[in-house]
Amino acid sequence: MSKDLFRNRYQVIRIINVRFALIFLMRLFYLQVISTKYVALANNNAIKELDVYPTRGMIYDRKGELIVFNEAIYDLMVTPYETKKAKGFDTLKMCELLGITKEDILARFEGMKKQKGYVRIPNVFAKQLSLKDYSRLQEYMYLFPGFYGQVRTIRKYPHRVAATILGDIGEVDDKQIAKSMGYYKPGDYVGKSGVEKVYEKELGGKRGKKFSFFDVNGRDVGSFGAGEFDTLPISGDNVIATLNIKLQEYAEKLMQNKKGSVVAIEPATGEILALVSSPGYDPNLLCGAVRGKNFNALLTDSLLPLYSRPTLATYPPGSSFKPIVALIALQEGVQGVDYGYPCNQAYNASGVIVHCSHPHPSPTNLQYALAQSCNPYFCQTFRNSLEKNAGMTTAQSYDKWVKICNSFGLGMKTGIDLPSEVRGNIPTVKYFNKIYGEGRWKFATIISLGIGQGEVLTTPLQMANIFACISNKGYWITPHIVKKITDPVTNKDVTHEYEKHIALIDKLHFEPVIEGLFQVVESGTAKAARVEGITLCGKTGTAQNPHGDNHSMFAGFAPKDDTKIAIAVVVENGGYGSTYAAPIASLLVEKYLNDTISAKRLEMEKRMIETNLLSKYGVKTNKSAGMSVETEE
Amino acid sequence: MNKVINTGWEYLRGDKMIWMIVIFLFIFSMLAVYSATGTLAYKMQVGNEKYLMKQIVMALGGVLLMFVTHMIDYKYYSRIAQLLWFISIPLLVYTMFFGTELNDANRWITLPVLGLTFQTSDLAKLALIMYLARQLSLKQDQITDFKEAFIPILLPIILTCLLIAPENLSTAAILFCTSVFVMFIGRIALKHIAMLFGVSVIVGAIFLAFLFLLPDTMLKGRMHTWKNRIENFTQHHDSDDEDYQVQQAKIAIAKGGLFKLNPGGSDQRNFLPQAYNDFIYVIIIEEYGLIGGAGIVFMYLFFLYRCIRIVIKAPKAFGALLAVGLGIALVTQAMINMAVAVNLLPVTGVTLPLVSMGGSSVIFTSVAFGIILSVSRNIEEEKTLETA
Repeated sequence: MSKDLFRNRYQVIRIINVRFALIFLMRLFYLQVISTKYVALANNNAIKELDVYPTRGMIYDRKGELIVFNEAIYDLMVTPYETKKAKGFDTLKMCELLGITKEDILARFEGMKKQKGYVRIPNVFAKQLSLKDYSRLQEYMYLFPGFYGQVRTIRKYPHRVAATILGDIGEVDDKQIAKSMGYYKPGDYVGKSGVEKVYEKELGGKRGKKFSFFDVNGRDVGSFGAGEFDTLPISGDNVIATLNIKLQEYAEKLMQNKKGSVVAIEPATGEILALVSSPGYDPNLLCGAVRGKNFNALLTDSLLPLYSRPTLATYPPGSSFKPIVALIALQEGVQGVDYGYPCNQAYNASGVIVHCSHPHPSPTNLQYALAQSCNPYFCQTFRNSLEKNAGMTTAQSYDKWVKICNSFGLGMKTGIDLPSEVRGNIPTVKYFNKIYGEGRWKFATIISLGIGQGEVLTTPLQMANIFACISNKGYWITPHIVKKITDPVTNKDVTHEYEKHIALIDKLHFEPVIEGLFQVVESGTAKAARVEGITLCGKTGTAQNPHGDNHSMFAGFAPKDDTKIAIAVVVENGGYGSTYAAPIASLLVEKYLNDTISAKRLEMEKRMIETNLLSKYGVKTNKSAGMSVETEE
Repeated sequence: MNKVINTGWEYLRGDKMIWMIVIFLFIFSMLAVYSATGTLAYKMQVGNEKYLMKQIVMALGGVLLMFVTHMIDYKYYSRIAQLLWFISIPLLVYTMFFGTELNDANRWITLPVLGLTFQTSDLAKLALIMYLARQLSLKQDQITDFKEAFIPILLPIILTCLLIAPENLSTAAILFCTSVFVMFIGRIALKHIAMLFGVSVIVGAIFLAFLFLLPDTMLKGRMHTWKNRIENFTQHHDSDDEDYQVQQAKIAIAKGGLFKLNPGGSDQRNFLPQAYNDFIYVIIIEEYGLIGGAGIVFMYLFFLYRCIRIVIKAPKAFGALLAVGLGIALVTQAMINMAVAVNLLPVTGVTLPLVSMGGSSVIFTSVAFGIILSVSRNIEEEKTLETA
């Protein structure tokens, strides 16, 4: 009876099931035979393309002293499966060697579990062990089956100076990854600032590729195709910096506990000899495992140690600007070297009174005016430049004046090979027309420019650069920090030709100005900074600062003939230029030219080193300078 | 030796072909499980053979259970079915509130005395199909009546499925479909089944709309999993960011090749989660190729064919419905497991009967096989009686 009952209906079920089975047999056939994608993915599980990282290029100073190198450190890796196969390891010895507790060990193994399939792959057990720690460990490696050390490198800075210039390396960000067209991958390290960033292409080298077989347990079981598909990494080039690291160290020492900058340039070549941003920090702070923590501490420090002052901070140049004012007047023929102007301690420019900083006899010539830094004299000189220019209106004269300033690299970028630089400011005719209206301003309106105040702003780098230009009697070479790039394998050098900029001043006008700058140190405002046997020329500056005490400045060069070094020093809130900036500059020049400080001047050196202006910046201690990293000798 | 096997074979009653299918599947199961549990064995810090031994014990226990259940006269199962179904309902409720949580789902309960953990839905499934066979056979006289047959038969189905659904939606859905199949075989009026189909589609559509139109924050418990799995299946089908499990499964299939034999040589067992359980089928394909995969499919189809053969021969409606109902339930589950493995359906947690490693699943599957064999044994014996 049931035959009739069910016959028709069970057929339906059978057909449904057979159809269903057929459908997925077809699906199986598709996945196995027709679609190639998963076969390719299957290979992915077996042959892996691994990146082989090149060693990053090293950085030397101009004398061949190594200033940045790579240090091998070791990550202690563990493959839990192998450790387990060998029935564990000597935890007691491990604790003793690494200075950790048994709980730490358990916690580290626990931490690995986040990774899928962690048991059969190498996991980091201890990060960034020094060579010393690692070699101690290596002796006992037989006690730790499944463990091995993996070499990595981090940057090391033996001199612990020039942090903002040399820069640092860190993990590449998303924007750079996108821009690199697939070269960079997340987790790669690239230069983040300074020389490391600008010369990333040269220092970074080229990544190699290695194809390796991995067994199902994720172990590397040798190279694929006998390595014929592998490409070797190309090591990064070495960079020879223009820095004199001894001078740099000395400058940072003199600048300690003061905010400010030092820029020293070799005028003949435009090579930067020292570039100090104070307060600085130990560049080793931003290497390796401690980077993240330290970076945040430096970032939040109120003294802004990460800020590269020599190229980013701008100050009114004050009296240090007077040589330029003088040069332009001479060039335009509005006054001669013998031009005299009576100083009665104040200059009245249509009601605007400019005082002189100190009493001195009336200047009878340019040299004396420079030596005494007479404000009324240079106000008048500036006025002459604007009003006595034959056949030109004030605005036209001023426009010319601006152009000449620009030719010294003022109000524009110098083009230094560092990632960030600002233009400073030389206000234009257009600017004043906008502020006061066309034809509605005259010399009296902008008189403060004549003594380096008002809208004019310069970076310490620009200051040093104009004095390099003066010492060169009319030209300057783009200042730069890298002398040459050397291929470590072929030893071939690549040098870059840097542009020669011509100042719009005839050579003959420089002689008297240089003589005046020489008098500044010999007998003028900076005579305290005079160095026996060195013909130091320069100009003090005291830049008015609406936020606190005046900035102490000095810029100059030495020797007078055949100049070797041009220098600019800024000590923020340091008061008169002769108080700190001039002595520090003179010490640096003496050190650079004579290699020692004469006995007479040791007391001054000590005073400069010990000067602590931190209270003026509202802090008690320099936190960043206090931070240090343990380094292995 | 031969004699021992022969005498052993002699003791087995019922359809010998079904016995052979069972043994074939168990052998495959042991091979595949042994291969696939290497990673699990390591994770659990036990020897590689531990899971094989466990599976052998389970298989032997399963055969023993089949033997015991197939020796019982199938007519007793009518009463047992009723009893089991009445027990299963409170157990499902208990599981929902006090069950052991695994992957966010309360599916498991632990028997207090034996310490045995089992999935309540496995019991409920068996109980419902058996109960359905009983109800259908009892109502055969007025089977086309809406009020007298359709509704009383439908209600237990809905009750059981609703209780399973919150924790294990796919099992509930499969059980519901299987039940409708059994109702169809049991001669419920086609128009009623069509009506049921229509209502199900509407309810399903409302449910999906609810799942996808409500913001994620309003979804509770397992709803996220359901939504993810459906999304993964519909949106990332064959694309690059498809689900890891699905992708690794496809890789395993691709590695299998057509005729390649590579027993114990699966690589994907190390990459594929649940390789020994829900995805055992792809490991079989990877190690035994398309031939092995087709062999498994053929075994289940052959099993269904043998069940239907029992139906044709069964003198009583209850026996026929019991055999075909359980048969359909097992084969549907197998088909769905394999369809998931080849990514024709979204990921569900359904095991491959007799092949997947797993405790309670083996127990209830064995009981189901035993009951089918019991029906076939009775038919054979009655036939012998008739001819005698």
